[in-house]
Amino acid sequence: MTRVWLRWVPAAAASAVIAAGALAVPLEAGAAVNLPDKTPQEVLAMIGDSTVDTLSGTLEQTSRLGLPDLSMGGSAAGDDAASALELLTGTHTARVYLDGPGQARVQVMGRLAERDLIVNGTDVWLYDSKDNEATHLTLPADAGSRPAPAPGSPQTPAQLADKLLAELDPSTEVSVDADTEVAGRTAYDLVLTPRGNGTLVGAVSIAVDSETGLPLRVKVQARGETEPAFELAFTALSLAKPDAALFDFQPPAGADVREQALPEGTPQEGTPQKDTEHGDFPGTVSGTGWESVVGLPAGSVPAELTASPLYAQATEAVDGGRLLSTSLVNVLITDDGRVFAGSVPVSRLQAAAAGG
Amino acid sequence: MPSDPLVRAGNLPCARPAVGWDLFASELAVLFRRRRTWAMLLALAAVPVLIAVAVRLSSSPPEPGRGPPFLDRVTQNGLFVGITALVVCIPLFLPLTVGVVAGDTIAGEANLGTLRYLLVVPAGRVRLLLVKFAGAAAFCLAATLTVVVSGALIGAALFPVGPVTLLSGDTISVGESILRSLLVAGYVTVSLLGLSAIGLFISTLTVVPVGAMAATIVLSVVAQVLGALPQLEWLHPWLFSHYWLDFADLLRQPIAWTSFGDNALLQAGYAAVFGALAYGRFVTKDILS
Repeated sequence: MTRVWLRWVPAAAASAVIAAGALAVPLEAGAAVNLPDKTPQEVLAMIGDSTVDTLSGTLEQTSRLGLPDLSMGGSAAGDDAASALELLTGTHTARVYLDGPGQARVQVMGRLAERDLIVNGTDVWLYDSKDNEATHLTLPADAGSRPAPAPGSPQTPAQLADKLLAELDPSTEVSVDADTEVAGRTAYDLVLTPRGNGTLVGAVSIAVDSETGLPLRVKVQARGETEPAFELAFTALSLAKPDAALFDFQPPAGADVREQALPEGTPQEGTPQKDTEHGDFPGTVSGTGWESVVGLPAGSVPAELTASPLYAQATEAVDGGRLLSTSLVNVLITDDGRVFAGSVPVSRLQAAAAGG
Repeated sequence: MPSDPLVRAGNLPCARPAVGWDLFASELAVLFRRRRTWAMLLALAAVPVLIAVAVRLSSSPPEPGRGPPFLDRVTQNGLFVGITALVVCIPLFLPLTVGVVAGDTIAGEANLGTLRYLLVVPAGRVRLLLVKFAGAAAFCLAATLTVVVSGALIGAALFPVGPVTLLSGDTISVGESILRSLLVAGYVTVSLLGLSAIGLFISTLTVVPVGAMAATIVLSVVAQVLGALPQLEWLHPWLFSHYWLDFADLLRQPIAWTSFGDNALLQAGYAAVFGALAYGRFVTKDILS
């Protein structure tokens, strides 16, 4: 009788090894890391001090905002709204290559498809493998140079960190959580927790590489959820200089090549940058800090968007309008066409709509 | 008749030390002398031919973003025909043929009454399972190569051949594109090994080869249906069909090797579990035919 059971030992052993492996890998990733303690100021200063400008890595972005998954019934092919929403649902992987300020390449990898952004000096290329379409932009020659800091503004990263913390303090508690590991590198985990409880955001955590000060992961936790609502993290990272040929993009033969001029009104040398918060912004902001509600006047939403079946599918009817609800942000579109958005419960949006 | 029991069994006892290789050679000979195997390979070879001829005869070139991926590239570069055909074949045709071969491995011999002759060698059962699995793997390679090579040939005959555009928008030379096509063929072969192991296991459960074939094919369809349901996202990385279409990662610049490694690991896991299950079933089985 025992001999019969012995025959099944290999099958049981193989399954056990795989199960053990599947359990051990996440455990290993969460293994305790012990770094010398740092205060939030020091960690913020590390970010400011970071001099990393060459890297190649893989980024993974996961959104669990509670939006309907549109990848399945994506009937509206080529719909811009749908493709923008698609980036807000599910998981996306991108490879990033960086060499100095002037050379960068981002590859957003889809199934059997890829979207590329290549920056090489003043040349910017966008390539979409699905349509075999390339778009070319030329930047003004001095776009890469940074404006000199205004006199009186903080100069060193440490000063900047202090100033930032002082500004954040009334609304946000900044702390350093247990050390962690991202993409095989040890990291400090800087956590921003809103002090009030009128917001949907539970906490924002930023993992900062302990060696270089490079942010490796950003997680946004919604209140009352166990898994992060939004996560952007490196899954692989090398600080070596990437192959120079990667940035030398020639549009492939047969591709649709479009030359696009820079849109008018792009900040150029000399013209002061428009202050979008106060200058031309037509809407209103009520509340402060995490609980701010942004209001837009009637007519801000294009009629074609509200007419699309996607709109009806993604929003739900509430008192006074329709609500696009996610775990982090609520957007209320009132019956008269005004828009109120904020990281707050829907009742706050309705109050803002009634008050405005 | 190559599948004649006496011919096959007669090969075995004479060269005992190298009996595994002998058995493997005889298994390959039987497999590739079968008319059924040739019919399946011909059907697979016909897929790229159909695609190429249809595109060649149509008056307007295919629009980007419509039809199977890469279809619009075919008119610019014939070497894409093989890749387009692979995308078309992976969901159904390739698993179908692999299911037929893998489902037939043990049940077919049992059905023909040749199994007991194959087992005259001492400790022959494990070796027979390994040889049968290797035979199925060889068929996976042959099937994939058939699609890629026939696609490249018909593409070269009907369309211009030149530098190939990768998914990233970079172009590579004809020579490198042949190398990449072979890499893709290797990837797809590895992708099918898990299914072969499942077929081998099901084949040890029955003496009716058609049942084992059908069950294997049904499982490959079920895996893909489950893979399309977003509600089962936690399950997806465990499905043997999960990485099937990720061969496209080999068509990026630079090559993204992660999916190749993940796929190989997943398929090795399936081969280990179902190979061990097949062992557990087969060594205790009473061979009556």
